Amino acid sequence: MKGKVISIHSSRGGTGKTMIATNLAATYANKGFNIALLDLDFRAPSLITVFSKGIREPVKYWLNDFLDGRCAIEQALINVSEGYNLKGRLLVGLANPAIEAIRDIMGKSSAWEVTAVKKLFSLRSTLSKDMNIDCCIFDTSPGIQHSSINAVISSDLSIIVTTLDSLDIKGVKNMLAEFYDAFEKRTAVLINKVFPETRIWSNGRQKALINQMEKTFKHPIIGVIPCYCDVLQAKRDSLLATENPGHPFLRNLEEIAEKLERIK
Amino acid sequence: MSPSQTIKKKSSTLDERLLLTMLLDEFKQINEKLDAIVEVNGKILKTQEEFLQRITNKVYQRKDIKLEPDAMTLLSLPMSLRKTVMVLYKLEKATAEDLASETKRLRAVESASANQLVRMGYLSKKREGRKVYFYIE
Repeated sequence: MKGKVISIHSSRGGTGKTMIATNLAATYANKGFNIALLDLDFRAPSLITVFSKGIREPVKYWLNDFLDGRCAIEQALINVSEGYNLKGRLLVGLANPAIEAIRDIMGKSSAWEVTAVKKLFSLRSTLSKDMNIDCCIFDTSPGIQHSSINAVISSDLSIIVTTLDSLDIKGVKNMLAEFYDAFEKRTAVLINKVFPETRIWSNGRQKALINQMEKTFKHPIIGVIPCYCDVLQAKRDSLLATENPGHPFLRNLEEIAEKLERIK
Repeated sequence: MSPSQTIKKKSSTLDERLLLTMLLDEFKQINEKLDAIVEVNGKILKTQEEFLQRITNKVYQRKDIKLEPDAMTLLSLPMSLRKTVMVLYKLEKATAEDLASETKRLRAVESASANQLVRMGYLSKKREGRKVYFYIE
């Protein structure tokens, strides 16, 4: 697990990417791992809301500041472990939600993007060697744009979260062929929000769906998570992994977490 | 296997190893010479430009255009070149040999690929002692 960098990506918004990233991070931290979770969705920052209950002091530095060279990564990470009673350390790096910050990031030059990729690549050694972090998770922005591409190319492994919506499937297929294969990135697909009406939970139907999707995407499926209405309706300023640890959504996620741990 | 056969086999293994070591040394020398040729060519080009400037009394701007190998640009590069840039993002600066050990391609392939990226303006290179390092500026 030491020093692994995982990016959580999707072709479109609304697939549950942030829900997966945050709860995956909390699941690992609950197991005693030291985790860094970075919000690299600079256009639509969301971790500031998800972790609002665990952040006790005003945010001094954002990830924007780290990428702009105004602070070191250590200064841009906030320890939220205590607020959620986690066994391991969970450090979160937040994207600045202020409109000026979003506008600023949208106007960055190619030279700045190159520096950003370099900084993301160098994070691996700082986090694992200097800060004893076992795994770093990037919550990316959806689709192909600088911030998401930078995150994906600088990670060891990428998880693409998709639903069974035909637009999502087409989008992922396209993204895999046009982008992921071009970078030869180690990638797995996670199918989320599968409707109960598909009745895939019995008679080996889940296996059949996985086979079918693996043929479609030509990449492994790391897990299939059903759609839970209560998860969709839950307030977004709470962590399911700590507020409702026995939830079946988390059991699915724990299986995925174990699979990810085994990947070297 | 008889003792004489064993001795014969051992000596042939030794011969093969010796031959391979000699070949490796030869290749290293060839690579060093190729790097030197690339460097000398650059200097000749510079001298020619300066000469041209003197005789025509015109200032010719050298096309030292630097391009940024950002992620979007990388998508437009051929796979072979993209791979080299990706390794340089990871290693920050590297010799052709360092690149080859990461990409598992031949050193000569990496040298050609990195030098092409330098010519295209995506990479820079500098000499430190006998070694030439490539890096993203």
